[in-house]
Amino acid sequence: MTQNPLLEQVAGDFYTNNFAKTAKEGSLILNLGPQHPSTHGVLRVVVEMDGEYILRAEPVLGYLHRMHEKMAEVKTAAQFIPNMGRVDYGHALGWNWAFVGAVEKLAGIEVPERAEYVRTITCELNRLASHLLWWGAYLLDLGAFTPIMYAFDDREKILDILQIPTGSRLTYSYFRVGGVAQDLNEDCIASIREFIPWMRSRLPMYKDLVSDNIILRKRIEGVGVIEPEACRRYGATGPVIRGSGVAYDVRRSDPYSVYPKLDFEIPTSELKDARGRYDVRIAEFEQSLRIIEQCLDMMPEGDVLVKGAPKPAWKAPKGEAYFAVEGARGKIGVYLVSDGGKTLYRTKLRAPGFCNLSLFAEVSQGTILADAVAILGSLDLIIPEIDR
Amino acid sequence: MDALLKGLAVDYLAACDFAKTGKTWQAFLPAASLVKAAQRLLAADYFLEDISALDCAEGYVVTYHFAHFEKPGRIALRVVAPHEAPNVPSIAHVFHGAEWHERETRDFHGVQFEGNPNFIPLLMDPDMADCFPLRKDPKSRIKVRDVLEAGQVLCCAPGFGLMTPDAPAEAQAPAGDKAPA
Repeated sequence: MTQNPLLEQVAGDFYTNNFAKTAKEGSLILNLGPQHPSTHGVLRVVVEMDGEYILRAEPVLGYLHRMHEKMAEVKTAAQFIPNMGRVDYGHALGWNWAFVGAVEKLAGIEVPERAEYVRTITCELNRLASHLLWWGAYLLDLGAFTPIMYAFDDREKILDILQIPTGSRLTYSYFRVGGVAQDLNEDCIASIREFIPWMRSRLPMYKDLVSDNIILRKRIEGVGVIEPEACRRYGATGPVIRGSGVAYDVRRSDPYSVYPKLDFEIPTSELKDARGRYDVRIAEFEQSLRIIEQCLDMMPEGDVLVKGAPKPAWKAPKGEAYFAVEGARGKIGVYLVSDGGKTLYRTKLRAPGFCNLSLFAEVSQGTILADAVAILGSLDLIIPEIDR
Repeated sequence: MDALLKGLAVDYLAACDFAKTGKTWQAFLPAASLVKAAQRLLAADYFLEDISALDCAEGYVVTYHFAHFEKPGRIALRVVAPHEAPNVPSIAHVFHGAEWHERETRDFHGVQFEGNPNFIPLLMDPDMADCFPLRKDPKSRIKVRDVLEAGQVLCCAPGFGLMTPDAPAEAQAPAGDKAPA
């Protein structure tokens, strides 16, 4: 490959210049983002283009990096829970769960059964809200404006429900080590029961109006094919791997909480493309509704916080623990090491979006720019989670 | 797991309790065995979950977590990188996703991954990329054996003392079943 003779004329920072070093002669270096509407917040991708085709792409991260892992060094385990709601605003309760689950594993704390059901119900509601947000925003990326209005209408109902027990609408910090902050009251349970048939009634309309729409189909079918073997090399999980035909879901593979008692399916798609990932998420709406329905029927009476649950100044015992849950975007993992001191010695957060996005450089090679946007959106990226 | 690592130089291999710590196996490897071990895990259809470093008194313990799409459980491979020269071979050409994990570990702890194809800062600003925020003050570093689960030891190389408890300290490793590798 010859070096671009115009290298010194390439405008840009460290990352652009570094990327341009190996650019081909006559190619164009283009920055997508970090301030671009189709990059969901502040993702930046540097691409090398030949006409409209992408020769090479490199995501540039860090614009939303807040160093949660450092913050964990100055907070006690209980004080760190609010950070978890801010790692991923789309599926905050998934992160809540991964963290308190890891602390519970470390300290050997058993959670009351009712709390497990409350966690499952709220976590699945949050998953629905996350998928709705993705669905609306993805179609917006692809040029369809109306669906997001419908999606946010549904999502609003979920936020209203979750506001009752959690007290917040987006960055929840509702789970506690040993349970949850408070029980679901009758109001809340009645609203959930009302919401389930309503959400179900919307799904056929979405299928007719959006999923089967010819413009959408032409934009996403056959675009961004990811082989399961590539998912393995990059550690992709969640709807990305399930959209490639592998039924991998932490709720099944390393079951936790009450999921083993529930009857639900793991939707997959053999298409492996953006359409496959789209179909998997749409199918997950129904599965989450099923889970919530069963939990409401099976939920026993009782406490939602274990007696003697850790107070803010509680010190985690010495040791290490890794706990993973299935978030809306894939496997959320929290690895903790404690030396028995006031704060945790090391907290490592595994963000599913981080691994899913690392695939992008390989998948986008040789596609046209408009398809790259369709691929990015199909990965369901939440940048604060990737940057942490 | 023993079969997977057969023939490779392994410093320490133990079966762990998944319900207790979230892993089923762990192995400390000499840096020279890492790439081979990664290749075998890839061939056995494992995927890389994450890479993280832990700043301990004995060095940076770089931990690679692997899981499987069909089998439950988790494998932890560990390499200890000394504080003076924290160099570890890169596995980014085996597990392509490792490229970013290794760059993140460099940003946070300053561990150098030799052979990473694009070893530039990932999450930190390039202008302040050498501050390594998660490095500990030497006085507050803990000992590996104090915090990491020893597990049921299957083999421990003769010179490897990282996980062996000091004389009377709380003995975690069951004594007696340590066979030379």
